[in-house]
Amino acid sequence: MFTDYFLLSLKSIRHRKLRSWLTVIGIVIGVAAIISLMTLSRSLENTIEDQFETFGANRILISAKGFHGPGSLSQGLTTEDAETIKKISGFEYVISGIFRSAEVRYKNEIGFTIIGGIPSEMYEEFYGDTGIEIEGGRNIREDEKYVAIIGSRVATDMFEKDVHVGDKIEIAQQEFRVVGILEEIGNAQDDNQISISLDAAREIFDEEESIDLIIAQVKSTSDIPQLQEKIEKELERKRGDTNFQVLTASQILEQINQILGIMQIVLVGIAAISLIVGAIGIMNSMYTSVLERTKEIGIMKAIGAQNKDILTIFLIESGLIGLVGGIIGTILGTSLALAVGPFSKSAGFTLNITIEPLVIILGLLFAFCVGIIAGVLPAWQASRLKPIDALRYE
Amino acid sequence: MELLKLENVYKIYSLGEENIAAINGISLLINKGDFVALIGPSGSGKSTAMNLIGCLDIASKGNMYLNGLNIQNLPESNLAQIRGKKIGFIFQTFNLIPSLDALENVALPMTFQNVPRPIRIKRAKELLKQVGLADRIYHLPNQLSGGQKQRVAIARSLINDPDIILADEPTGNLDTKTGDEIMNILVDLNKKGKTIILVTHNHELTKLANKIITLKDGKAMEAQ
Ligand SMILES: Nc1ncnc2c1ncn2[C@@H]1O[C@H](COP(=O)(O)OP(=O)(O)OP(=O)(O)O)[C@@H](O)[C@H]1O
Ligand SMILES: [Mg+2]
Repeated sequence: MFTDYFLLSLKSIRHRKLRSWLTVIGIVIGVAAIISLMTLSRSLENTIEDQFETFGANRILISAKGFHGPGSLSQGLTTEDAETIKKISGFEYVISGIFRSAEVRYKNEIGFTIIGGIPSEMYEEFYGDTGIEIEGGRNIREDEKYVAIIGSRVATDMFEKDVHVGDKIEIAQQEFRVVGILEEIGNAQDDNQISISLDAAREIFDEEESIDLIIAQVKSTSDIPQLQEKIEKELERKRGDTNFQVLTASQILEQINQILGIMQIVLVGIAAISLIVGAIGIMNSMYTSVLERTKEIGIMKAIGAQNKDILTIFLIESGLIGLVGGIIGTILGTSLALAVGPFSKSAGFTLNITIEPLVIILGLLFAFCVGIIAGVLPAWQASRLKPIDALRYE
Repeated sequence: MELLKLENVYKIYSLGEENIAAINGISLLINKGDFVALIGPSGSGKSTAMNLIGCLDIASKGNMYLNGLNIQNLPESNLAQIRGKKIGFIFQTFNLIPSLDALENVALPMTFQNVPRPIRIKRAKELLKQVGLADRIYHLPNQLSGGQKQRVAIARSLINDPDIILADEPTGNLDTKTGDEIMNILVDLNKKGKTIILVTHNHELTKLANKIITLKDGKAMEAQ
């Protein structure tokens, strides 16, 4: 019997093709929006967490207040501070680094990017512990001075001609030899960076003492909170001020997750609104469909249809419209999200789009339910009409 | 044998302050196998009476018996069953479902009685053949002429083998020749034993009936 009513509904939907499609489009837009936005925000979260793993969970970063990553001007940290930290036990090693922007020349072309300098003897550990691969060439060796490792975008995008291992580039008028090219990390900042030795960096930036960033690699993750506290105390004691900040990976991740959380709420909010609009569209369309077919309902009642029969037929119809809209919307939504992947890459931030089955199942279920719910009221009204009133309706 | 009995039946519409008695105390008796012609001027209550008999509408007062069962106070679900099984409707405006072809329109009343599809289709084909539409079974209503539509409607009214056929001006929208063909089908059915109530404005057609009921201002006068 259900199959019979299913076929009846199907025929009725096909009979009013245009109206049915208009209704379907409403739900398609809603579902596509919610699926693509949910997929994107989940992918963003995953990607940022991945990025963070490369940054290193076992690191404590010490910078001057107001230093928010390479490029921003900072004052205040010196080699003395690095020595203070080195004296605290519990670290594998402590790296002092300078991060400044500078002019870069390659074959008469000028670029402008971030130059990072850490002691040349620290490079093995630096890339080893982050898991960033050197794709072409080799790492910087101890006692090397005017050599550089360049990010993948420096090699391919920054200049008209690609930069190769062995090429000479000029950083702040000093010639450097490129010895290595990094694999693509996935964010524009890291991929556009050039790494050189601290000695060379001190020379070209004319900095004797000052340091932009101290990276302290801890031996055991569980020690991070105590070590962080210790660093803060020791630095304050030695320096006599609190003009520095000590950040751990988990703290930074927390901050980013907070921002991400707000973004997610906004995204899902937008999607929910579009779905509500879709639902109202279905409801409106179901309502008109019922009104248009009042006479048909009268006919069906005259030939023996009970209220529950009418209700079933109309509910199947709206559920079907919801489901079809859901399927098309899911396909559209996932392809939309997938299309953002390459797009984000060209914008400098590689987003790994992960399609989650749960999101798809939720989307389909939601569309089906919205269809049913939107159909309930008009269907119920239709089923309750007195046969003669329905039949007389013009 | 007594099939349908109306006892002092009223149908009163209240339009604000005013009450209109569309059916104003009708009592009548219809036997199995009767061919009843229901006539009367426009607005005399013919359609209203048909709707009451067909359980599409509920009387304001009085009692109605079908096969001895008082149908006056039955709930809608029972009335739907009665409409489906005991009564066949033929309307002036055909009232076919536009999204279904002739075959499925005819089979639809059986769907609501949970009859399996193969049986429905077989029976519907037989009936369409009987009304002369064997070659039009897959046509949609808008691909059929008026006379053909009415034949489909007749086939549909017969599919659950009802006790009574109610035809409210079935030839009203048809030309004389087509109308005559439709009437011939009804006369045939009556000869095979079907009880028929026919509303008509055409006095010629009353000759086909064995019982004529004239309505005037909601009251009935009977002649054999
Ligand atoms: N829903 C309604 N509300 C109010 N009055 C109604 C309603 N339905 C019918 N009437 C009135 O009841 C009376 C009988 O109407 P009915 O349709 O039964 O007439 P009829 O004999 O079938 O006329 P016709 O030959 O023109 O079809 C008319 O006066 C009509 O105005
Ligand atoms: Mg009438």
